[in-house]
Amino acid sequence: MSRGGLGRSRTMKTEKRTIIFPIGEAISFSIESIRRRFTRAIITIVSIILGIAFLSALLTMSRIVVAIGGEAGTEAVPSYELWIAVIALLVCGVGIVNSMLMSVTERYKEIGTIKTLGAEDIHILELFLIEGGIMGIVGGTIGGVLGWGVAYVTYVFQQQSAEVSSRIVQALFESVPLIGYSMILSVVLSLLSSMVPAYMAAKLNPVEALRYEV
Amino acid sequence: METSLRYEYTVETEDLAKNYVMGPVTVKALDGVSVKIRRGEYLSTMGPSGSGKTTFFNMIGGLDRPTRGKVYIDEVDIAKLDAYELAWLRARKIGYIFQTFNLIPVLTAVENVSLPMIFAGVGREERLERATQLLERVGLGERLDHKPAELSGGQQQRVAIARALANNPVIVLADEPTGNLDLHTGLDIITLLKTLNAEKGVTIITATHDLKMIDVSDRIFWIRDGRLERIETRKEVSVRPVGRE
Repeated sequence: MSRGGLGRSRTMKTEKRTIIFPIGEAISFSIESIRRRFTRAIITIVSIILGIAFLSALLTMSRIVVAIGGEAGTEAVPSYELWIAVIALLVCGVGIVNSMLMSVTERYKEIGTIKTLGAEDIHILELFLIEGGIMGIVGGTIGGVLGWGVAYVTYVFQQQSAEVSSRIVQALFESVPLIGYSMILSVVLSLLSSMVPAYMAAKLNPVEALRYEV
Repeated sequence: METSLRYEYTVETEDLAKNYVMGPVTVKALDGVSVKIRRGEYLSTMGPSGSGKTTFFNMIGGLDRPTRGKVYIDEVDIAKLDAYELAWLRARKIGYIFQTFNLIPVLTAVENVSLPMIFAGVGREERLERATQLLERVGLGERLDHKPAELSGGQQQRVAIARALANNPVIVLADEPTGNLDLHTGLDIITLLKTLNAEKGVTIITATHDLKMIDVSDRIFWIRDGRLERIETRKEVSVRPVGRE
């Protein structure tokens, strides 16, 4: 029997290369996966909340300090505080990496199965990035609002003259976009941290993944 | 489906071999297996544990690359396929059934069956419709929205069978499909596989220790130490005392 070699194998390539895991399906899949490991997801999200809230509170307060004209010569945000915020964010990034790695390890078999069903690497990548992204959005939203709220509570209930109070309120109002920035930062951080675990998951060899026992 | 009708042999292997290097030792898991498997055949691969059944399986399922030799599925040499084409092959041409069912725990029965159709690019409506039909076909029409944890072992394996058939594959590969089931449920699963084999003309290849499987198999491959020891038809097996290898 003669075989066409390359020619034959090319006959298989009949479809265009655009099979995408529909985003709606992928999101609901990821949400279910998070729900299944809810406690760990909560812990990760709390760490994101704390890091982001710290940053958000710090930035909001600095705006207020500037607005009420602080003492001359002092920094609005002492640089060491900013450093603490950066370190807090790094720590929560490491927390996300850790949590996602555990999620990947636990799901070796699941990943192997999905691959035998015809998933491409990109589909697996998508699932894990969405999972990280969801945690980032939730943590970032709560954290951003919480930090802003802390700043609000700290300053608004202080006894001030009417004029200073109005300036504080004005500064708080102007700080609202900071919540958005914190969210974006949180999502970026989560996606970056999920990248390595997601890549590892995507590159798993299905045979080894299926053989793996948790 | 239609394209496969042109080919007499769904699976062909030529001198298939796989070595695993474990430190200083090279294990020959598979050592020169050449077979031809006809379209629509029900074939069982039998042999002791560690004989190379699962390795053989992974090779013809396109899950692992052979060290030597070739695998043709519908006359396509799967070693020549790139990652995308392999995924395409797994999605459309091959259905897998596992000993441990391997359903996705976070998805319902109907979602599990729909999953391979997502990777084949089938639209949502059609996915749900086909998944429902398949689940009804395997007798789980009442359990569409149950998650795997809410199903018995036999029911989970039925979902897995429905999932394997989702994209009308030409081959269903079943690795110890009855290994985790009791005698009675195992027999139900074997009967179901045989019925679907006859009904849909899908080639079924199983790796098994289960001697009940002999009754429905057209041919049996006996594998030992990575080599194909002999091929027997059902008739040849039944004249011998069953169970002797």
